[in-house]
Amino acid sequence: MKKYHILLIAILTTFSSCVENPNVTEETYLTTPDATNSWVVGLKRKIALMLNATVVNMEILSDNYFNNYSQYSKVFDKLQIDYFDVDVNNIQSNIHQVRSMAQFGLDKVIPSDPTTTPSQKAYMYFALAYSHLLAGELFIGLPATERGEVLSWEKHLELAIKNFDEAIKLEPDAELISAYRLFIARAYYRLGDASNAVAYAEMVKDKRSLVYEVEFDGVNGVSNEMQNAVYGSLPNRLAPLPRLDFLDPKYYYEGTSSTDQKSMAILKVEEAYLIIAEAQASNNQLVPAQATLQDLLDVVNMRPVALVDDSKEKRDGGNNKNYPLAEVDVKFDGNDNSPKQGYVLNRQNGKIPVYTVSGTKVTAGDIAAATAQDELLYIIYRLRQEIFMAEGRRVSDLGIRLSVSQNEEMSNPNVNDSHIKAQVPAFIPKDLDMDAFTYDKENGLVTMKYDMNKVLIENKTSPFIVPFIK
Amino acid sequence: MKKITFVFLLFFCSFIARAQQHKAVEGRVITEQGETLPGVTIHVKGGETNKYTTTNFDGEFKLDMPNTEELYALDVSFSGFQTVSYGPFEASDTLSPITITLKEESTQLDEVVVTGQGLSINKRRLSTDIMSIKGDELDKLPSSRVDQMLQSQLPNAQIKLTGGQAGATSIIRSRGVNSAFINSTPIIYVDGIRMDNLNTSAAIGGGSTQGASISSIADIPMDNIERIEYINGGAATTIFGSDAANGVIQIFTRKGQAGKTNITFEAQLGLEKGTKDFLHFERTADLLFQDGFYQKYSVSVNGGNDKLGYSISGNYFNTNGTQIHNQNSNQKYDIATGFRASLAKGLTYESSFSYVNNQYHRNRNGNQGGYTGLWFAESGASSITGPTFNNKLDELTGEEFSIMKEWVSEAERLQDNKINVNRFITSQTIKYRPLYNLNIKVSGGVDYRVLDDKTIHTNKYIAHTTNAPSIDKGSITAFERRYLGYTLETNAQHQADAGDFSFVTTIGGQLFSTEDHQVSYKGENLRDGSKIISTAAVRTANEAFFESVNYGAYILENIGYKNKYFVDLGIRGDGNPAFGSSIGIQYYPKVGFSWIISSESWGSGNIVSNMKLRANYGIAGNLPPTWANEKTINFSGFLGDQGAYFGQPGNDDLKPEKSHTYEAAMDVGLFDNRLMLTAGYYRTITKDALFSVPALPSSGEMQNQLRNVGEILNEGFEVSTVVEAIKTKNVSLRINASLNTLHNEVLSSNGVPPFNINGFSSRTLQTVVEEGQPIGFLRATYGIFDENGVLSEVLNQQNLGSTIPDLFGKIGLNFSWQSLNIYANADYQMGAYVNDWDSQFRFNYGVGNEGIPQAEIDAHGRTNWLNFTNMFVKKADFLKVRTIGASYTLNSPVKGIRQLILGFQVTNPLNFTSCDFDPEATISGAAQGQGSATTGGIKYATYSSPRQFIASLRFNF
Repeated sequence: MKKYHILLIAILTTFSSCVENPNVTEETYLTTPDATNSWVVGLKRKIALMLNATVVNMEILSDNYFNNYSQYSKVFDKLQIDYFDVDVNNIQSNIHQVRSMAQFGLDKVIPSDPTTTPSQKAYMYFALAYSHLLAGELFIGLPATERGEVLSWEKHLELAIKNFDEAIKLEPDAELISAYRLFIARAYYRLGDASNAVAYAEMVKDKRSLVYEVEFDGVNGVSNEMQNAVYGSLPNRLAPLPRLDFLDPKYYYEGTSSTDQKSMAILKVEEAYLIIAEAQASNNQLVPAQATLQDLLDVVNMRPVALVDDSKEKRDGGNNKNYPLAEVDVKFDGNDNSPKQGYVLNRQNGKIPVYTVSGTKVTAGDIAAATAQDELLYIIYRLRQEIFMAEGRRVSDLGIRLSVSQNEEMSNPNVNDSHIKAQVPAFIPKDLDMDAFTYDKENGLVTMKYDMNKVLIENKTSPFIVPFIK
Repeated sequence: MKKITFVFLLFFCSFIARAQQHKAVEGRVITEQGETLPGVTIHVKGGETNKYTTTNFDGEFKLDMPNTEELYALDVSFSGFQTVSYGPFEASDTLSPITITLKEESTQLDEVVVTGQGLSINKRRLSTDIMSIKGDELDKLPSSRVDQMLQSQLPNAQIKLTGGQAGATSIIRSRGVNSAFINSTPIIYVDGIRMDNLNTSAAIGGGSTQGASISSIADIPMDNIERIEYINGGAATTIFGSDAANGVIQIFTRKGQAGKTNITFEAQLGLEKGTKDFLHFERTADLLFQDGFYQKYSVSVNGGNDKLGYSISGNYFNTNGTQIHNQNSNQKYDIATGFRASLAKGLTYESSFSYVNNQYHRNRNGNQGGYTGLWFAESGASSITGPTFNNKLDELTGEEFSIMKEWVSEAERLQDNKINVNRFITSQTIKYRPLYNLNIKVSGGVDYRVLDDKTIHTNKYIAHTTNAPSIDKGSITAFERRYLGYTLETNAQHQADAGDFSFVTTIGGQLFSTEDHQVSYKGENLRDGSKIISTAAVRTANEAFFESVNYGAYILENIGYKNKYFVDLGIRGDGNPAFGSSIGIQYYPKVGFSWIISSESWGSGNIVSNMKLRANYGIAGNLPPTWANEKTINFSGFLGDQGAYFGQPGNDDLKPEKSHTYEAAMDVGLFDNRLMLTAGYYRTITKDALFSVPALPSSGEMQNQLRNVGEILNEGFEVSTVVEAIKTKNVSLRINASLNTLHNEVLSSNGVPPFNINGFSSRTLQTVVEEGQPIGFLRATYGIFDENGVLSEVLNQQNLGSTIPDLFGKIGLNFSWQSLNIYANADYQMGAYVNDWDSQFRFNYGVGNEGIPQAEIDAHGRTNWLNFTNMFVKKADFLKVRTIGASYTLNSPVKGIRQLILGFQVTNPLNFTSCDFDPEATISGAAQGQGSATTGGIKYATYSSPRQFIASLRFNF
């Protein structure tokens, strides 16, 4: 009978062994050379994908853009943030994925790869820190481990600072060290810690071309979704608030779309000036604040401007027929008595300027004329909006925060009812009002319903916004 | 080892061979019509149990008899005929040649079937139901694919084509939806070989027009079929093990026949018209439809003698389709052979080969983005597409409409999407019958299917449909799927009698292996006119590979007492590398009993002719895909380097989901079987149901992972009846009807959040799996309007209705008057819901109010179009007449022609629906490439099945 046993085992083994997994298991991966390098590349890719999940949605959620496309969120424009919303879940998941990949890199990949360089390890700390930074900027709180306790947004920002510090310790490249310092300044800024924020901003403000960009790769399926939304797809999916029309598109392509996916700045030296100026203005140091902002304009003016044919932009996605396509005057709200020119472009009149890093219509004269604290703060928030246009940053300035998602809540006993309610400050206009405008075609005048920067300054003492004023 | 020894003891327990002296008995076997029957088994019952023979070419037999004084009888049995006993007589009697007449089986009680049993068995002994459809019945129904042909034939199953385009995928389900991860399509066998039925998903090619969603059932050979057997899950499928929870369709092809060579030539010619019943605009048909010409020619030759049989058939099918510019044409040709040879006494070899080539053109439909003809016309998107038009088609002036028509014609003409399928199937079988009561079968075979799909988007097409210049956006997307399946099966069956007891013991083993290799490649920035990717400025490629090996062994024991009480026992064990490391061999047991009440002395009479009560319990499974248990790292090129990231999270406990079915039923034949009724109840609970569990966000996992976390209930009553209302020599009228109820519910999801199986995004419309709800219910917004008709409240993610009907069935009639035969078949269902996404778009694009109060439009315009999706969900009740046809048979009309059959059939002639759209045309709510669970439920830019008018001429020589 033993013979039959052996025969049976032999047959079964033959059948089993002929089914070989064509995929790489974790065990195989960790025992093959050069794992760290591919993990760093994978992290870069993951960060690009996280931005895709985040930026378009955050732009829709803010007053920057209105969505005309049925496959993007149809509820963020009206500030409906449900904890069961697929985008809330996607954004949360993406942030956790970056965190988890960075942690796996530090815990498993690096110990298995003796060729790991300090710079690679620093990148993993950076990725970990950046995931905490976004968690702290965009959410009311998130777990920091699988099924873990929900940490407050402040705690996430502190973890971000700690890990950026680790990255700085390891990173040999001075330019990257400056960038990490500016990230720290950004975290302190959101925490309302003006002295630390300014201290770190001061360290880097002289690096006047500093910009930290995330690259995309259209050939390998990681296109810049924001580029797709504002330029690539026709009809274009997102329409900017008309007063920001001149800043759209920030991203474009020439030739074949998949091979020309523009990078996205997730950090730039302009922010150092903005932080310093806001600290100064909040502290009623108005003249130094003016000087800082004038310096900022110089930095912005040094940024590249491309000339791009955007004649295919008809603003007609989603049956929208009411968007100004001519060069019309713009009023920032109904009380604006001085209609402004140059904000809405006629894209059929030749190529338009595209501000690929930063652009603004704030002038030196505007800054000089702002002599009161509120006037300066208003200009600072206008600058923040325009400089960070299409980068997903605006919602944080508006004090809007997402909640923990339902998928987390259902399987994580640490999530309670307070974690699944998003934060939308009471002074933020509801429904679609942040994106609303009227267009008087006859007189060539478009009027925004709200000037949200004005609204922010009017409510500057709110705990949710303008962090240096409490 | 003891177990094996026991099995063999059981298997051979009744072998008793005794040598005797012999005399001979001889005779012939004929049908009621007087035709001789070759191949009939004549078995001596009495002292010498191993004596048997079969009738020769002329239906004659001669059998040596033992020279004793014992009483003997002859049991005469043949598939499709009632078994008769001749005798008893003493072997010493002097017998003159006898003639035995066999009566065709109409009650099906004693029919011989195979599926689910390993080898042939008399249905009387079984506790489960097996549907058997004879090839002659199928020959009457002109159709181009096997699932469409079966649409009206299976009383307890629903077969729905999800779209009207050739090659559209179908949803086949009988006992509900017992899986939330794999579709409800039964596994399909042809001559014992497992077919590709697209149960592996198209991992990298997508889109509802593309090859990935071309049904592989559409090119299963369907000519020269001897019969089809169907079992719908539960205990009946237990011996198919780990992937049979959805039932089994088994097709047997002809292998020739003893007797006269039979040559058949058939021509089917007809007209296909796009179904207009459900179009919103009168003019849509004018814009998009053309009349298609349908033609099909087939030739078959069947012949042989008692030692040898052969069958050859060839078939050519062509239709240019019902969409303009022949953009949905289909051409198929196939050739099939069947061969049977008696190599030695009791040793038979059978083989079949078939080759099919199937070619399609497809235009864009469903949820494809950009221009699609129906979305443009029927969803109101013409107002935002191309140069933009007034989207109220029927209000356009003649001139405006002709401009639109010209534009659409060009948009359709410029589409270039071709699909080409080549398929080769072979089955080889050796049957050995060393003794009358011992049958051994070894079979093996291959199904090899290669699908190529190429879609070319020219700059001209893009510029035309986007109304913007395009010089660098031309692209080619190609997809290739190669499927290779091997099946190897061997089994042996032994029959034994011991007093009033009878035993049928079957043991067997099966191995099947499938390889599914998918490759996609894409070229971008091509110059118009280029049809090959090598000339593209940018080229990318992708690959997916799935492999599955499953091996199993089974033993079945059917015990009878007095030929009226039967116990049916069986178990199958399966091993498969797909199962997690901590999971070993999987077992699928079954137990059942049947009681032939009519065999009791008091059980039959003038009214009751046949009555059988049966009940059973059995387990069948659904396999997880291979390697779904392993934790992997994924890779992708990124910025010229290799990027690694988390792949599949892994699950060491992965195993098949198992459907546990309890079933009880009664089969009754009344008034000399003029009224036959089968009524039963089943309850199936899928335990350890495989859910594709979304990653817990904080885990950082990047892919869903299959986990055995669900529990799904399906239960219902199944009633079917056949009434022969008129039965005279010249006239007969047969009416059949069935009624099935169904309750489907996810009993538990073990805390897994609701997940989408086939809808869009969660903010628009999904078909969802959630605890306490039926699988694939429609989930979207529910809008509440105030007394003025203005939207006042929006409830998100609400259950808007089940997409699975709770009542369905079929009705059919067949009337014969001498040589004239008229038939009609219909399907119906009630209790399901479908979303009319087209209507929702029409509202959005301002075509009409679509039932939304004017006050809401005055207050908010069209902005709330996604906030009251409940207003676009309608009942999906329907009664659809699938076929109405007639045939007229002329016997020997001229010399040389044995028979001429003239036929005419209308397919899809009548539709009665509770909604004003086609509730079956739900390709967007069905899986775009099959493979995954699907329930339909979303109507979106999908063509309905065309109406066909087909005349046929069939010559038998």
